[in-house]
Amino acid sequence: MQIKALCNPPSYVLLRRKDCLTKTLLVMKLTIFLLLAVMLQASARTNAQTVTYTGKSVPLTAVFSAIKEQTGYLFFYRKEDLAGTGRVTLQLRNVPLQAALEQALADQPLNFAIQGNTVFITLKPSPPSPPQLTSTESIPPPSGIHGRVMDSLGNPLGGASVAVKGKKRGTTTDARGDFELKDIDENAVLVISYTGYTSKEYKVKNSDNTNKFFVIMSRSNSPLDEVQVVAYGTNTRRFNVGSVSTVTSEDIQKQPVTNVLLALQGRVTGLDITPTSGTPGSSVQVQIRGQNTLGSTPSSSPFDQPLFIVDGVPFAPQNNSLNAALMNNLGGLNSNVPNSGFSPLNSINPADIESVSVLKDADATSIYGSQGANGVIVITTKKGKAGATSLNVRVNTGPNKATRQLQMLNTPQYLQMRRDALQNDGLVLDPTNADDSMYFPDLVVFDSTRYHNFARQFFGGTSNSTDVHASLSGGSQSTTFIVSAGYTKSVYDFPGNFADNRQTLHTGLHHSSMDHRLNIDFGSDFSYDHNNTSSAPSVAQAMLLAPNMPDLLDPEGKPVWNYKGINLSGYQMLAYLKQPFSLQSYNLNNSLRIAYQLATGLSISAGLGYSLLNTKQYSASPISTQDPNNAYSTATFDRGDFQTINIEPQVDYKRTFGKGVLSVLVGGTYKKSTSSDMQVMGSGYTDDAFLGSIEGAASITANDNSSIYKYAGVYGRLGYIYDRKYIVSLSGRRDGSSNFGPGRQFGSFGSAGLGWIFSEEKAFRKALPSISYAKISGNYGTNGSDGVAPYQFQPFWRISNMYSYPLFDGTRPYQPANLYNPSYGWASKHALNVALDLGFLHDRLLLNITGYRNRTGNQLTSYTLPSQAGFPSVVQNFSAKLQDAGLEVSITSVNVKTKNFRWSTSFNISGNRNKLLAFPGLATSPYASTYTIGKPITLTSGFRYKGVNDTTGIFEYYTGKGGVTSTPSYQQASKGGDIQPIVDVQPKYFGGLGNTISYKGLSLTLFFQFSKQIGHNYLFGVYSGGTPGGMNNLPVELTDYWKKPGDKATLQRLTTGYYGQNTLGRAATRAASYFGSSSGSYGDASYIRLKNLSLSYTLPDSYLKKVGIKSCNIYVNAQNLLTFTGYKFGDPEMKGILYTIPLQRTVTGGLSFDF
Amino acid sequence: MLYINKKMLAILAFFSLLAVSCKKLIEIPPNPPNQIPASQVFADSADIMSAVAGVYANMKVSAYNPSFVSGSITFNTGLTGDELNSSSTSYRNFLQNAITVDDGTIQGMWKNAYSDIYQINACLEGIAGATVISVPLKQQLRGELKVIRALYYFNLVNLWGGVPLVTGIDYTINASLPRAAVDSAYALIKSDLADARSALSPNYPSLIKARPNLYTAEALSAKVYLYRQQWDSAAYMAGQVIQSGKYSLEQDLNSVFLHGSSEAIWQLPANSTSYQTAEGASFIPYTSSTVPPLISYTAPSLPLLNSLLGAFEPGDQRKSDWVAIVKVNATNYNIAYKYKNRTAVAPTTEDYMMLRLGEQYLILAEALAQQNQLSDALTNLDQVRARAGLTGSNAVSQSDVLSAIMHERQTELFCEAGNRWYDLKRTGAIDNVLGTEKPGLWKPSAALYPIPLQEIINNNLLIQNPEY
Repeated sequence: MQIKALCNPPSYVLLRRKDCLTKTLLVMKLTIFLLLAVMLQASARTNAQTVTYTGKSVPLTAVFSAIKEQTGYLFFYRKEDLAGTGRVTLQLRNVPLQAALEQALADQPLNFAIQGNTVFITLKPSPPSPPQLTSTESIPPPSGIHGRVMDSLGNPLGGASVAVKGKKRGTTTDARGDFELKDIDENAVLVISYTGYTSKEYKVKNSDNTNKFFVIMSRSNSPLDEVQVVAYGTNTRRFNVGSVSTVTSEDIQKQPVTNVLLALQGRVTGLDITPTSGTPGSSVQVQIRGQNTLGSTPSSSPFDQPLFIVDGVPFAPQNNSLNAALMNNLGGLNSNVPNSGFSPLNSINPADIESVSVLKDADATSIYGSQGANGVIVITTKKGKAGATSLNVRVNTGPNKATRQLQMLNTPQYLQMRRDALQNDGLVLDPTNADDSMYFPDLVVFDSTRYHNFARQFFGGTSNSTDVHASLSGGSQSTTFIVSAGYTKSVYDFPGNFADNRQTLHTGLHHSSMDHRLNIDFGSDFSYDHNNTSSAPSVAQAMLLAPNMPDLLDPEGKPVWNYKGINLSGYQMLAYLKQPFSLQSYNLNNSLRIAYQLATGLSISAGLGYSLLNTKQYSASPISTQDPNNAYSTATFDRGDFQTINIEPQVDYKRTFGKGVLSVLVGGTYKKSTSSDMQVMGSGYTDDAFLGSIEGAASITANDNSSIYKYAGVYGRLGYIYDRKYIVSLSGRRDGSSNFGPGRQFGSFGSAGLGWIFSEEKAFRKALPSISYAKISGNYGTNGSDGVAPYQFQPFWRISNMYSYPLFDGTRPYQPANLYNPSYGWASKHALNVALDLGFLHDRLLLNITGYRNRTGNQLTSYTLPSQAGFPSVVQNFSAKLQDAGLEVSITSVNVKTKNFRWSTSFNISGNRNKLLAFPGLATSPYASTYTIGKPITLTSGFRYKGVNDTTGIFEYYTGKGGVTSTPSYQQASKGGDIQPIVDVQPKYFGGLGNTISYKGLSLTLFFQFSKQIGHNYLFGVYSGGTPGGMNNLPVELTDYWKKPGDKATLQRLTTGYYGQNTLGRAATRAASYFGSSSGSYGDASYIRLKNLSLSYTLPDSYLKKVGIKSCNIYVNAQNLLTFTGYKFGDPEMKGILYTIPLQRTVTGGLSFDF
Repeated sequence: MLYINKKMLAILAFFSLLAVSCKKLIEIPPNPPNQIPASQVFADSADIMSAVAGVYANMKVSAYNPSFVSGSITFNTGLTGDELNSSSTSYRNFLQNAITVDDGTIQGMWKNAYSDIYQINACLEGIAGATVISVPLKQQLRGELKVIRALYYFNLVNLWGGVPLVTGIDYTINASLPRAAVDSAYALIKSDLADARSALSPNYPSLIKARPNLYTAEALSAKVYLYRQQWDSAAYMAGQVIQSGKYSLEQDLNSVFLHGSSEAIWQLPANSTSYQTAEGASFIPYTSSTVPPLISYTAPSLPLLNSLLGAFEPGDQRKSDWVAIVKVNATNYNIAYKYKNRTAVAPTTEDYMMLRLGEQYLILAEALAQQNQLSDALTNLDQVRARAGLTGSNAVSQSDVLSAIMHERQTELFCEAGNRWYDLKRTGAIDNVLGTEKPGLWKPSAALYPIPLQEIINNNLLIQNPEY
């Protein structure tokens, strides 16, 4: 029945082959693997479609029918528009469709437009005498003119501005797209403009005085007019004075990533994206335009996460780790990576995303007030499109492999390395000595002929990822819908049955009332993600295992704990892999927006949003996976949720005054965010088989946490564009936050922006006609920040955890919960942004240069305290002022554009410079050894590395006074120690370069991402895995160590780390312990990475037509395919982290069908 | 226009309503569900008892993570001194007296001590102003808290030397306190103990000896005076405890550390859910036998050093009862076996021994010997020796008696709350003893642990100990 209804929308006639249902069945046969069956439009898409038709005095409908029959093109028109048309006589022979239609409609008051495979028939703008109009519309008074502005589909464009050229007059269309202008000169020219459309000039005719006329607007081809989603609305690049970058679905869907954040990497100026691991579903850190907040050390700075908004609703979990509660159990996966964990944004299917807008400056974000201080990322999901119901199916699958796999020493190399270390330390082993077998089991006890390649076993594998996505969309002019379902499976590439499985369902509905005054949008996203992994504490350390390690599993597959008296529990990675961890997350995002137009230009609306993410986590340590010496079975069950309710009433007003267009937005926000987490841990299970249940536990402990945040604000925005040249944009907000104490809850923020499109000036146009667009814009404004935990302004006590603190003397113990500071308030950020936009050759080449300067003062942060204060920190404002200033350049260009061949390029580059402007009392603060006024806060302090002493063979460092030592002092140089600033780890610049070349149906995209930076080098990774020479395997490339006096080596002498009474070995171990804090552990970590390669081929229609497929696309997408870097080994994107799950190279091949 | 204006008015009214009720919109509950305001804690007698219970709970956290007072002092001083050995790399820096300033264990000990002291101070301040409990109870609690604070500072000053003396909860003051002189630290310890002695009664406030009474304060005072070489005061305090008649030496060595031991002066109940005491969990490996020799798969992680084993005189029953042999294949290891339960048993059979009578006899003996009251000294010394199955000491001269006492302290108090390490330091024997035990590794500056690096960074008034 549904299908029938779709075939016959009430007020329109859709012509098609007679047998709609038959065709449907045919498609169903072809797509039996799909759950969704759809109505079929037997159509094929060929530009060279020709028509042969002969008819004498036939009605137009018959002509349309025939053309439809031959070409498969649909016709779309209003019944009443055809009522007044005459019959036509035609003789066509292999005439191209376009020409055929022109001929057929030559004498008719009709226009046509071909869009895709649909022909839209509309009334001509000035029909000679359409009587039906006067019968349905009120008769206009003779003094005014009446017009209607529509798009090429006949949809009214409400809110379009209509100006009278050369006069200071103008108006705005109402919801039906109608407008009225009085006292218009006979030959007046109207200039009609609408966001995203080419503005149109319309010359008023005599007849327009009595008849209603139509202006059909066409979509602009210029990228400047593409609609950008901005705060509470849309804008275009042409008129925006704020800094907003948009990545669209076109770029997102070429990338085989499961997390949309990874698809943004290198594509947006000023946006720094850092993956934390190659683990499927792992966290991705995001920072916009540098660090705004100070931390106790550069590496422990709070990550300035932007605000994430999905379809107008703040995403409940934001970008916080989903498994924070069970984090400790997951140490192994990401233990040495800060801010790691599982990403909540993995629960949004990138295939359901239409666009991602990154709002960066005050003009773009001030309206979000306190929430926008770190920038805003607005994710907009796909919406239904009016027209024939269509089904798109994408299926792809392909392998993942480590990007830069580490090679470790084999057994002979390893044993030689160990023997060298022994010799260096002056040790001689006695195999009969129990101590020696305890300290050197690899040399004394283990079989020296065994070889086990742990690096390959754990991380050298190839895993698979599979993605299926089906989307059904369509609708009429007044109601559109989209439903899409996706399934994604990413398998871990280490041993075990581990994978991330995701199922998503996306729906979107739009309804517009007949008079277009009431508009309703509803969107809902649901996803279920099941990430099944191991809670192993240190799987990544498997690479370090001695390659002659005995079998860790016995022939029956049971873990071995003891080999000839040597306890293997420190090495038993295979047993630890069998300790399960699973994270299930259920994500629901609902948004509803109801808007009603009260009068021309004035509408009220309400946005209601609800975002909920539930997590269920489970981890267990079965007895069978533990050293029997310490075996104690535990299972932890955790339930958490993040919830946000968001209500936003708004009033919009838009009016054209002559050449000026004024738009006003006033709104309010009420937001309530809660999160909670409850964890129950059972221990002492009698049998591992009971581990899935809490009932089997001998003892149970539980703890819970919850957090609440309420936020209310009123905001307004005023925009004024005069003569399409001069732009003013003002916004303001007053916010209240529950995070602050009484009297400090409210703060006010605002911004002002100006823009001048000087290419619209006649003089400029004359002088530089090749520049098609030129705009200079700037804005200045403030943001606040309330980014601290609630309740910190009062002292609290909490009940102690029963597990760690059982009853004392029959009494439940309490503990103080926090230090309190009653007087903290909003942090304030002042941001200045200046941009120059240039377009050349009719906007084929677009250039944007943006400079910005952000200053964050009144820093609101957890101020570090020494332990003697009782707590590690207290929430406090302090008057340090931090500046981030930067330059961003982006260029897009269509280099070649011919009928069959097209080559386009995009390039962007950004650099941020951070500087501490002021910090009263720095010298006596905990930050004294970390920061220097006038220097970047990313300037890391440590020891200045000198090199390896060629006589003793151990590392040497410069002292604060310029001397040389192997045992530097941790005091600052200014206090007589050796700590001094060594290296600035802020990237110098980063960006991306993309090229897309298409020839006919073939399209190739190459996207390179690059970063020029200094960071931890491979040696840092090596030394954090253990001092070389100890019982830790080493990367095979690591050969350049000191062997004998006189050697000039990169690495110091090997040492076993067991120095007994040997002072040389001890000195080497000691010297090595400073290395990770020295400049020797930093190096160039710049890289250029072929982030994405996408090759696709669209099959010629002639093949597909026969089987009823509208279009079919075969593609190969690859991520992280090639890396060009001087980084010796390890991945430069994960600086200095060698022993972890490496980033993955993903190649997928797939098919996409449209039905 | 009028039409629009009316609507505009309605809209304006709507927003002004929103603005007026803004304060209401951002109201949240007065406290998080699992927390209560500090003011409420000290306005309710049950809450006050819970706050104080937290102070005790802090001292023994869990056997997994030894807290400052229980467990970690025993292991770490045992390793830096001449008691414990280890093959584990995580203990290596302690074993070889090469602790670095960024060592996590050192950082953890320091941090735990001060966060516990914060709670003690918060309770002292809160209780002083409380009106919901009786004056005698306030006094009792103050006395208990002062004993505990004295114990913390006693350990801090012995591990690190002078430390910041935090006595309040105002972080603006506490965060920038410099290290006080050792003498000032002892002045605070003594005044806390004097206050405790005046506040506490001979009766224990709890059924078992979990919370200090007067004699606990006196026993700790005896120890403090001994360390300060105030022999008469030390002798007086120890004498008070011994003569109180409340305590007697357990004649069976295997009963000394049991729950309800008659020798215990202060015993914190161990009721962890998995392991019993931190010592038991760390010293005893998994074993299939219940009586020594303990048969195990793997070597114990903290076996005893040979020099300690050699210190026991022939026939010393402490060597058979408080030391156990662990057999791994053909290799034997010796472990401290004062606490014999590795995993928790219910009801609890072993508790954490904080202070016991055996030590008081030795304190008294030493204080008397220092005052040249040698025969009285020997009488007290022989009490301890007799219990270990040894004959009376045959030392004659003052120096012989003193070294006999020191030797007895080594074998009686080994692996117990840092006693041996502190003894080596306070008697000045450390360089001699450890220079022999750890040739090439020992250096005199290692007698003081380093101030954790992070603390010096966060409070730049802290000055590092020499040679770190």
